[in-house]
Amino acid sequence: MINWKKRSVMKSFGFRCEQIVAILRKDFLIGLRRRATFAAMMMFALTATASLSLSTGGTFLEPKILAALLWVVIFFAASAGISGTFDDEAQAGTLPTLKLYADAQAILFGKMIYVLLSLVALTIFILPIFLILFDVGVANFSLLLTTIFFGLVGLSAAGTLTAALTTSAAVKGGLFPILLFPVTLPIFLPAIQLTELSLTGATFEFGLIVVVIIFDAILITASSILYDYL
Amino acid sequence: MNKILLVLTPAIIAAIIFLVPPIKGLGDLAKIIFFHVPTAWVAVAAFFTSAFFAAKFLRTQNFSFDTLSARAARLGFVFVLLSTISGAIFSKLTWGAYWNWDPRQTTIFVLILIYGAYLTLRAAVADEKIRAKVSAVYSLLSVLTVPFLVFILPRMYFSLHPSPVLNSAGRIEMDSVVLIVLIAAVVDATLIFVRLMKR
Repeated sequence: MINWKKRSVMKSFGFRCEQIVAILRKDFLIGLRRRATFAAMMMFALTATASLSLSTGGTFLEPKILAALLWVVIFFAASAGISGTFDDEAQAGTLPTLKLYADAQAILFGKMIYVLLSLVALTIFILPIFLILFDVGVANFSLLLTTIFFGLVGLSAAGTLTAALTTSAAVKGGLFPILLFPVTLPIFLPAIQLTELSLTGATFEFGLIVVVIIFDAILITASSILYDYL
Repeated sequence: MNKILLVLTPAIIAAIIFLVPPIKGLGDLAKIIFFHVPTAWVAVAAFFTSAFFAAKFLRTQNFSFDTLSARAARLGFVFVLLSTISGAIFSKLTWGAYWNWDPRQTTIFVLILIYGAYLTLRAAVADEKIRAKVSAVYSLLSVLTVPFLVFILPRMYFSLHPSPVLNSAGRIEMDSVVLIVLIAAVVDATLIFVRLMKR
C-alpha cells in the first residue's frame, strides 16, 4: 500500500492522465462490445418512466412530486447500469493485473469518468421522454441541467466506489442500491428541491447548488482515499 | 461494571416511575422519553465507534478491530430501532402522528438504512478478508453523511423536535430532577453499550 503511494507521487500528472484516458478508452470499447448493460439501464429508465406515467395518467402532478419521480427513476436506472462497473475485471480476474499496469487511482478515476459519461447518456435519453410523458413545463432549463449534472457527478463518485465494494458480494442486484442510497442522500435531497424550483421557476437558493457541489467534492475525495485500501 | 449496572439500571427505572413528576397533559406513557434519549445517544455513539474501529482496521489490518467494528454496528442497529420506535410513540403523544419526516426522524431513519446496508453487506460477502476491508470502507464512507444530516438538513426543513438538552442558547430548560434522571439514564445506557462491546 505504502509503496503504491510513493510510486504514485513519483508518477507525473501527465502520465496519470494518460492512464485514466487508457482505462476510459478500454471501458468504452468493452461497453460498445457488450451493449447489454447499457441497454438494460436505458430500458429500465424507460420502463419505470412509462409505468409511472401510465399509472398516474390524466392526474395533475405537483412539481415537487415530478422532481422526486425524476430522481427516483435516475437513481434506480443508474443502480441497474453501474453496479457491475468492476464485474468484467472481477469475473476475468484481471483487476490485479490492471493494477500492475496502471495505478489504483487511475483505475478509479477512469471508471468514475466512464460511469459519469454513461449516466449523462442515460439522462440525455430519459429526460426528454420524462418531460413529454408527464407533460412537464420547465421554467428554468439551465438550472435543471446544472442540477442534474452535479447530481450525476456525486452519483458516479459514490457509485464507482460502491461498485468496487459489491464486486465480491454474493447478492449484487439488491445490495447496490441499498448501499448507495444513504451515501448519496446529501446530494438527492437538495437536487430534488432544485429540480422542483427549476420546474416552477421560483427564485432558487444558490446555497443548495453549493451543497451539492461540496458533497460531490467530498464523495470524490473520499472515494479516492478509500479505494487505496481495497 | 456488572454490579454498577445491576444497581444503576433498576434505580433509574424506579426513579422514572416514582420520582419524576408526570408530564403535563401527556400522561405516564410520555415518560418513554427517558428511554428514547439514551437509546438515541447510544445509536449515534455506536455509529462513530464502528467507524473508528473501521479506520483502525484499515490502518493496522488487525482483524480484532474488524470484529469490534461489526459488533458496534450490530448493537447500534438494535439501539437505533429501539430509539426510533420509542421516538415515534413520543411523537404520537406530542405531535399527534407517529411519523412526519421531521429532520430528526429523517436522520434516525438514514441511520437505520446505513446500519442495515452495512450488515447486509457483511452478510453478502463470504471471504473474511474481503468482508473486513469492504465493510470498513463502507462504514467510513457512510460517516460522510453526518455533516449533511447534522448541519444542512435541519436548515432545509422546519423541525418540531425539541432542542437537545444543551441547546444553542446554552441554557438548560428543564426541571433539575428530570435533568438528573435523564443524564443518569444516558450514562447507564452508555455503560450497557460498553459492557456489551467488551463481551
